[in-house]
Amino acid sequence: MTKSRDQSLVDRCLNGDRQALETLVREYQHPLYNAAYRILGNPEDAADATQAAFLKAIENLDRYDSNYKLFSWMYRIAVNEALNQLKRKKNQQPLDDRAVDDNPGPDEQVEAGNLSREIQDGLMALTDSYRTVIVLRHFADFSYRQISDVLEIPEKTVKSRLYSARQLMKERLLAHGVTV
Amino acid sequence: MKDVQARPDARAMELINAEIDGELTREEQAELDAMLESSADLRAMQAELRNLASMLDSLPEQTPPADLANRILDQIQLPKSEPAFSLAGLFGLFKPAPTAVAFAAGLLVTVGVYEVASERDVAMDTSRMVGTMVSGSPSQANNEKDSLAISVPGLSGTVSISESGAMRILNFDLDSVEETEIVIALAEAQLGFGGIARAASSGTDAEQSYRISEGTLRMVNQGRQAFSVFLLEAANQDGESRKISIGIFSDGAPVFSGVLRG
Repeated sequence: MTKSRDQSLVDRCLNGDRQALETLVREYQHPLYNAAYRILGNPEDAADATQAAFLKAIENLDRYDSNYKLFSWMYRIAVNEALNQLKRKKNQQPLDDRAVDDNPGPDEQVEAGNLSREIQDGLMALTDSYRTVIVLRHFADFSYRQISDVLEIPEKTVKSRLYSARQLMKERLLAHGVTV
Repeated sequence: MKDVQARPDARAMELINAEIDGELTREEQAELDAMLESSADLRAMQAELRNLASMLDSLPEQTPPADLANRILDQIQLPKSEPAFSLAGLFGLFKPAPTAVAFAAGLLVTVGVYEVASERDVAMDTSRMVGTMVSGSPSQANNEKDSLAISVPGLSGTVSISESGAMRILNFDLDSVEETEIVIALAEAQLGFGGIARAASSGTDAEQSYRISEGTLRMVNQGRQAFSVFLLEAANQDGESRKISIGIFSDGAPVFSGVLRG
């Protein structure tokens, strides 16, 4: 049976093939960084989490199970790194400098150029667990089943978190003058 | 009291969300369609959630910092680091020929032959290109052109080069205490890889591995290893003498280097 590309890439890395490692890093840095960015909300923390995720992944590469897609496995590590970083930050700094304003003025309207910022702020206003399912669903395009695997929670929980997260996002965006 | 059925609006919300996520069965889609048909509120709710999903999906991708990949790569140590063995020139890599050929008649069985290929694919399954020496040694049977004697702490033995028709054969007889990596500059010598045959080994298969990368053949060995490497002329069959650089590394540090002419 032919080895999967994922398994082949992993085997080559485990055999010390630097070129395979470069392929792995350059191929996955973009999606992993984006996931970390959406969870953490700023580029510096996202870069740190991405870096930590790769180091952890390489350290544990011999435990990679080829029954799973390498992308899902890497993504899971990156999401967990981002969430861990978030916890550490919250412990160190309870109020983020850029804390989301949940009580905007009633007449506040959103300029088109700020829509992305509003949506990202809306994401950051969610709890970590709600934000994570949104990131996995909308930015990684994972199915309920894949999200369930990555987060190790039942699919039913994935659904309920996703519905609640969207409802909260919608209410917040409406409160901030964004038409949904 | 038995569990009651979910309220119609809660059920509708579940179905609307699942529809957005592409997770509805055909039956559920029919159920949702029926609900939407009879409720303007649900249709408005569906439109809002679809719009929200669309907004989330359309958020611009963020570009990682330009130096992120290098920062990551700089921090990662792979299990076996490649020694810094700088040899100019790249060579096409190799793909297995369809048939196995016995070299140096009477000496070898089941030796895979590899032919020159233009494609570049560093990963190759080298397990198929290892043969077995059944008697004698190529150096005895063929015309030896040059040899190197190696005697450094933890490593001793000989490497020689001989010819058999248009083929060069490197004959290794080494004994190493620690794991060593032998690097042969194929591209520099304008030679292509033809196969490897082991004659003797005190190690296990796990202690021997072979790889071709960027015009070099790399072999990791430990213990007593006697084997032959078969090299083919890559370009014209001009029969000119070639200089073949060989480096041996232990734990990433060079322990021996030499040149064979043949």
